[in-house]
Amino acid sequence: MQRKELLLGQSEWLKESSNSVVVLSSRVRLARNLESIPFPHVLTPEKSHEIEEKIAETIKNITFEGEQLTYLSLPDLSPIEQQVLIEKHLISPGLVQSKGSRGVALTGNHRISVMVNEEDHIRIQSLLPGNQLRECYRLANLMDDYLEERLDIAYQEAQGYLTACPTNVGTGMRASVMVHLPGLVMTKQVQQILGSLSSLGLAVRGLYGEGSQAFGHLFQVSNQITLGQSEEDILTHLEAVTGQIVEHELHARDALKSGAKSVLEDQVWRARGTLQNARLLSSEDAMHLLSLDRMGVDMGLLPRTEKSFQTLLVDSLPGNLQYILNQELDPAQRDEERARIIRGALSDHTLTDKKESE
Amino acid sequence: MLCQKCQQREANVQITKTINGKTQNLYLCEYCAHHAQGLNFVINPGIVPDFLQALFGLTTSAQNQGQDQALNPTQEKVCPQCGISFSQITQAGKLGCSVCYQTFSDQLEPLLRRIHGGGQHAGKIPARRGKMLREKVQITKLKERLQQLVQKEDFEGAVLVRDEIKRLEQAKGGEE
Repeated sequence: MQRKELLLGQSEWLKESSNSVVVLSSRVRLARNLESIPFPHVLTPEKSHEIEEKIAETIKNITFEGEQLTYLSLPDLSPIEQQVLIEKHLISPGLVQSKGSRGVALTGNHRISVMVNEEDHIRIQSLLPGNQLRECYRLANLMDDYLEERLDIAYQEAQGYLTACPTNVGTGMRASVMVHLPGLVMTKQVQQILGSLSSLGLAVRGLYGEGSQAFGHLFQVSNQITLGQSEEDILTHLEAVTGQIVEHELHARDALKSGAKSVLEDQVWRARGTLQNARLLSSEDAMHLLSLDRMGVDMGLLPRTEKSFQTLLVDSLPGNLQYILNQELDPAQRDEERARIIRGALSDHTLTDKKESE
Repeated sequence: MLCQKCQQREANVQITKTINGKTQNLYLCEYCAHHAQGLNFVINPGIVPDFLQALFGLTTSAQNQGQDQALNPTQEKVCPQCGISFSQITQAGKLGCSVCYQTFSDQLEPLLRRIHGGGQHAGKIPARRGKMLREKVQITKLKERLQQLVQKEDFEGAVLVRDEIKRLEQAKGGEE
């Protein structure tokens, strides 16, 4: 597959999913290393290259649910292409920052990606829309099985999968959900609810590390403990807590609807109006307004838009914006083009509300 | 209302933070809100290695208590596989290779307990490498099941489980 086609292809997780109210996407990541080989951060350049080749070759020979993966070596990618992959959550900023030979393998739909020589030799990731942790695990686990058939993976009975950082040892698994919580933010419950998660062994982060709560209302919740619990335990626990978060968010939205309906309607319609008419939009503005718009759609207050919230969000980020338009833009030009893209997506193609009655 | 931080721009962002149960509301302009570090949920990526270094540091200092000054670096134990020392691990916040887990198991044990709350690996066992391990775990689980059945006086079920254990143990012996 051509690189441009591969990178521009719509990631599975950006598609609208029937169960994606509140939980926008789910992700499972598995960290693995080769036995008897130093971890990437202490490899010599020659050895690092050798390991990259070995793993990349192995991955290229795998047919994953009828699909081949395409391997991209990081130094071959332009800074904008690297940014596109980060914004689509297909690689970590850490992969770009680290040194040595490294890269990522992807399927066409981006459901599965494998980073090579990031912090660990192998980082398998599965990313899907909506609440689909089990399916993410099934896919990541399948890829892990394929790789383990062909490579000697570092593993010990007592400590499980051995990883460069001791925070990942054991299952090597980080499972996470991205949740959209405008209701909890507006009713000022978000700190209270998310703040309690650390005592439950879970961690909370913003969407791209920039997420002060004012922007986007998006949070990622993930497991922190990887040793002493099985994958099943971790997924069950995260699912249960996610269920609670969803319930509270929906409850908060109901409370807003019954207590302050006209204010709420005004807010979401203003967001839609601004998105349809603004001539300049910063990333933060766009995130915030798209978030309100999405909430309006989810609550049946606004007509559904053709492009998903996630797609518009990612398309309007600097890397993707420049890549789609195929030109380098300074921040001021980006604000203009971002407004243009969002206007185009929301003005002409607004569909009539197809949402089934709840 | 003016931004509480710069007192210049209009405040249009409200930030609520709760520390130890105390809630504080701040009204900031977008610029100051964006730069208000410490109010964010976000873990600054740079903090993670620092945080780990601190954790590692805690481990080493606890172990050095009552001992003389740190060992001469030339005498420090290094991993036979990758040649890295524990102080290098402390600095990087990362181990050098999979063998480091054995080499420095004494120093790592309290750290792993602090991060994960103790316990042994309870998750996936790799198919190819873990075949033997998996059988061992399966037998242990069956033996637990056997005990439960005996306690419940379900002897018919117990006989079946006992035979299964026998079969697995024989198959295992046959391979060795």
